[in-house]
Amino acid sequence: MTIDILFIWTAFKEIIKALPITLILTILPLLAGFIIGLAVALIRIYKVKFLCRVANGYVSFFRGTPIIMHIMLIYFGFPLLIDQISTKFDLGIQSNSIPIILFVLTALSLSAGAYLSEIFRSGIISVSNGQMEAAYSVGMNSFQAMTRIVLPQAIAQSIPNFTNIFIGFLHTSSIAFIVSQKEMTGAANIVASTNLKFLESFIAAGLIYWGLTIIAEGLSFLIEKKATAYNRGGVQ
Amino acid sequence: MIYLKDIQKSFNQQPVLKGINLKIGKGEVVTILGPSGSGKTTLLRCLNFLEKPDEGIVQVGDIQVKSKKATKREILSLRRQSAMVFQHYNLFAHKTVLENVMEGLIVTKKYKKAEAKRESELLLEKVGLGDKHNYFPSQLSGGQQQRVGIARALALNPEVILFDEPTSALDPELVGEVLSVIKAIAQEGITMVIVTHEMSFAKEVSDRVLFMDGGVIVEEGSPLEIFNAPKEERTRQFLNRISRDFSVSFLEERAN
Ligand SMILES: Nc1ncnc2c1ncn2[C@@H]1O[C@H](COP(=O)(O)OP(=O)(O)O)[C@@H](O)[C@H]1O
Ligand SMILES: [Mg+2]
Repeated sequence: MTIDILFIWTAFKEIIKALPITLILTILPLLAGFIIGLAVALIRIYKVKFLCRVANGYVSFFRGTPIIMHIMLIYFGFPLLIDQISTKFDLGIQSNSIPIILFVLTALSLSAGAYLSEIFRSGIISVSNGQMEAAYSVGMNSFQAMTRIVLPQAIAQSIPNFTNIFIGFLHTSSIAFIVSQKEMTGAANIVASTNLKFLESFIAAGLIYWGLTIIAEGLSFLIEKKATAYNRGGVQ
Repeated sequence: MIYLKDIQKSFNQQPVLKGINLKIGKGEVVTILGPSGSGKTTLLRCLNFLEKPDEGIVQVGDIQVKSKKATKREILSLRRQSAMVFQHYNLFAHKTVLENVMEGLIVTKKYKKAEAKRESELLLEKVGLGDKHNYFPSQLSGGQQQRVGIARALALNPEVILFDEPTSALDPELVGEVLSVIKAIAQEGITMVIVTHEMSFAKEVSDRVLFMDGGVIVEEGSPLEIFNAPKEERTRQFLNRISRDFSVSFLEERAN
């Protein structure tokens, strides 16, 4: 077997058309996960009664099981649930009319929430207690102290961790192809099997993922440098 | 003005404050002396409920709070009566010098940004940092950071400013600049409670000196009374030890 270098470029052009789906499958779950993760982290830090246990269980389960499992569970489980609720309350919703991508997005959002909650939690804990106390001493309430003083520092310090999660989820979005989502890996698979040029197609897909990762790392570096400039000391 | 009744506080069943009673009048400058671990910091932190007393009543300005029944709202209004200058400065690390001073004005005093900025610039001028507005705390010396801390406290125009060993984290050559700022504001009639180990500063600046040991106020009086004629044995011992340490370190410095 020889490798058809030119076909890599052909495949590249074909596969990159699926980039929007890959980005949707990466960015939307991370946005949802950002909100879930922040809420879960705060619930666990403040030990909100009852909710705290739910939050602990949630994080433990979703970090303790592979993401592909979450997609499977939701892809096969939610339709059952939806159909039962729908017949019970006569809602007239049919699970097979719901686009599959919504199940995938739900699963990925829940996974992202669990991972991001741990990043928020360690970020918040790493901000020294003195910051919170200073905020109280100038008359802030807990919410103001958290949003104006602690979270900005926690988030700035966590940028490298957020980037790792972003890269992880960019790559993880590829497993959506097992439930027939035509994101980049799915697209590569189609290009590969229709042209019987597997190696070339997956090399092309790999190059795209790699390129995206390098761009994300570069952006992250610039943002982090700017966001944590306050921490570097030395006279201006 | 400030009124404490039977303040008690324990950490892990270990009593740290054993019933503190105290009244401080408007404009009074009170320094608290005492050996390490005697409960000075804890007492100061009970005044703004950074530490919640187990027992007793705390009043600052018009706000009176019964420790046991304190609600969040009461604690917030109590905190808004005072400001604190911390041993380790605790400046908001992600905010510039100017923003550090503005923050309280904007969030708790509801100043407009431009107003807060004008006010803060004046205060920074006053503590000698008119040229450092856009620096971050990490870019300043300890003495400069602590002066920002003082400006941040002054900005709130509080009923009382609480100082917890404001110079003890500083290199010796930076202590003077901070103490002279504190002396200057003491002369403006601002009520202050200062925990310090700087004896000559305490002598000079205080209207009243408290000596604490083992979670109680052992003795109180004018600086003259406490430094020249302490009534209690424990006070005498403490002052002797401090002055001996001072002369030893002074001699060591001369020798080097
Ligand atoms: N948050 C805390 N948890 C447990 N013990 C504490 C805490 N804060 C203070 N203590 C203890 O209380 C005692 C008094 O401390 P502190 O008020 O800081 O004394 P001082 O400021 O006079 O040196 C010390 O024995 C200290 O170990
Ligand atoms: Mg102390």
